[in-house]
Amino acid sequence: MNSVNRRSFIQALAAVGSASILTVPTARASATSKARVVVVGGGFGGAAAAKYIKLMDNAIDVTLVEPNATYTACPLSNEVISGHRTLESLQTRYGGLTARGINIVQRWVTAVDPVKKVVTLTGGATLSYDALVMAPGIDFTWGSVEGYTLAASEQMPHAYKAGPQTLLLQKQVMAMKDGEVCIIAPPPKPFRCPPGPYERAAQIAHYLQHHGKGKSKILILDPNDSFSKKGLFEQAWKTLYPGMIEWIPGKDDGKVVRVNPATHTCYTTFGEHKGSVINIIPAHTAGKIARDAGLANAQGWCEVQPMTMESTMHKDIYPVGDACIAGELPVYDMPKSAHMAVTQAKVAAGAIVAKINGLPNPEPYYVNTCYSLAAPDYGFSVVHVYKVEANKFIYVKDAGGISPIKTPPITRRLEAEYANGWFNNIMADAFV
Amino acid sequence: MKKAIGRACALTLCLVGGAMVAPAMAADPIEALAATCNNCHGLNGVSVGASMPSIGGQSEAYLRMLMLEWKSGARYSATMGRLLKGYSDEQIAALAKYFAAKPWVPSEQRAPDQVVFNGRLVSDRCTTCHGERGGQPSDSATPRLNGQWAMYLEMELNKYRDDAVNLPHRKMRKNAQKLEQAEVYEVSNFMAVQKGQ
Repeated sequence: MNSVNRRSFIQALAAVGSASILTVPTARASATSKARVVVVGGGFGGAAAAKYIKLMDNAIDVTLVEPNATYTACPLSNEVISGHRTLESLQTRYGGLTARGINIVQRWVTAVDPVKKVVTLTGGATLSYDALVMAPGIDFTWGSVEGYTLAASEQMPHAYKAGPQTLLLQKQVMAMKDGEVCIIAPPPKPFRCPPGPYERAAQIAHYLQHHGKGKSKILILDPNDSFSKKGLFEQAWKTLYPGMIEWIPGKDDGKVVRVNPATHTCYTTFGEHKGSVINIIPAHTAGKIARDAGLANAQGWCEVQPMTMESTMHKDIYPVGDACIAGELPVYDMPKSAHMAVTQAKVAAGAIVAKINGLPNPEPYYVNTCYSLAAPDYGFSVVHVYKVEANKFIYVKDAGGISPIKTPPITRRLEAEYANGWFNNIMADAFV
Repeated sequence: MKKAIGRACALTLCLVGGAMVAPAMAADPIEALAATCNNCHGLNGVSVGASMPSIGGQSEAYLRMLMLEWKSGARYSATMGRLLKGYSDEQIAALAKYFAAKPWVPSEQRAPDQVVFNGRLVSDRCTTCHGERGGQPSDSATPRLNGQWAMYLEMELNKYRDDAVNLPHRKMRKNAQKLEQAEVYEVSNFMAVQKGQ
């Protein structure tokens, strides 16, 4: 038996008050398990890590701690804003993981003790672990834009954690009158879903164009001087929505430094811009619990060892997903995408299972595919392949890259459909 | 050598731990490589996204040929070529073998009876090589179609039919071009709803 604080674990489960959470397989697994893994966070990375550990070695007791009963995926959530998708189509619960014998504990983790290898949950119960997967996603840095607070996000939605914020932005866009301006202010790099703000511009333009509001404009006020798939987006904007989308880079005073929600105004260093809809996406860091656990670097991100995804700060803790920073910075860092998170989770899962079983660490493989939809039938992608050489992440320059700029129209149509097929499969790969 | 050490370790664990058995999936290096395909093609190559083909249970020769052609650029692809340039030919061969060894699982799909009926009428363009219901390919370089996703089949057939991109299979181009646009949809659905071979 491992050093599991079993009594408080069961108390925690009882306190949640749901019989379905304390399943029969849980009790059986605990009695015979060879090791215990705790996973913090039930997004793509956390869910996939839990699933693949269990898949590779059913004798390991796996507990996923996630405060929400329903997960809302971010990929394709820009299509909710344009009305092409429902929020429900992006949602899943944790029944698929429960069916695999994974314990789901619907709580927040309030503390991690990396020395004693114990996590504390809301309510005070504790769980001990042999290995911990840390997948909290990102937190916003409120105040990274002056005046942009949690309260201000109710007027100027970020819509960068899919859910009510997505619906709020959708509602505001749909209330726009022809000729009005929508402002999108992306965060400084690095941020989750690097093409997200630019895909969003296209999706909003699509909505406006098809609802008699074609004289409206979308203004992207960007602190950055370039962005993911820039050539492809600019081509798509020009082809599909001529004159509707304007991008102002940081070097041309694009950076929003202050907002006034009452007057619908964004202030840059030298200018000001008014919009009837203002979408401010604040700066990100790794989720608070990862930073509190001492896993983050000075910039607020979790660094990892390429062979295993184990933290460079603490042994037996494996950060995965958007909270990580990895790869060849600054240009070839690993994108914060669902695909990357699932890939990293599989590497972490393989390393954890190998270590517990005394097997050699498996060769790690890191691959990312990220589709963007500029219209329902117009998609494109970026592919990343990484190798690990001399304990460093190496971006394989012969592979990967963006969809070709010059290509027959069929490529955009195919990749739009691939985006939808990818979504179904990645959801299943992580949650079922 | 590494493998031998792994086996020795696993054996020791068995002796010491009693119930501890080294799991096969963690021990076999192909599993980690193949897991990179699951994101889009599903666990064991069974896709749940209509535009993404199931690959588990397709023949080894077919899978390897496709991947190598995408990698070299001999065959057009929207996405796969960029991915496969990151895989060695040996890895590609290993992946083809891995997924070919998985069972072929026809997807649960429905189509209106009339569509399926019409599809069957024009399916003789396909059946010589792919089998009466698409599940008995005439040679090892030909894919199964029975229970493959209708949307994927339609997209592939249209690629051959429109002939706007580089696809090496002349016979496929010729036959696809003999189909009317509506027939592409119908025959794709006919193959997609087939549960048996």
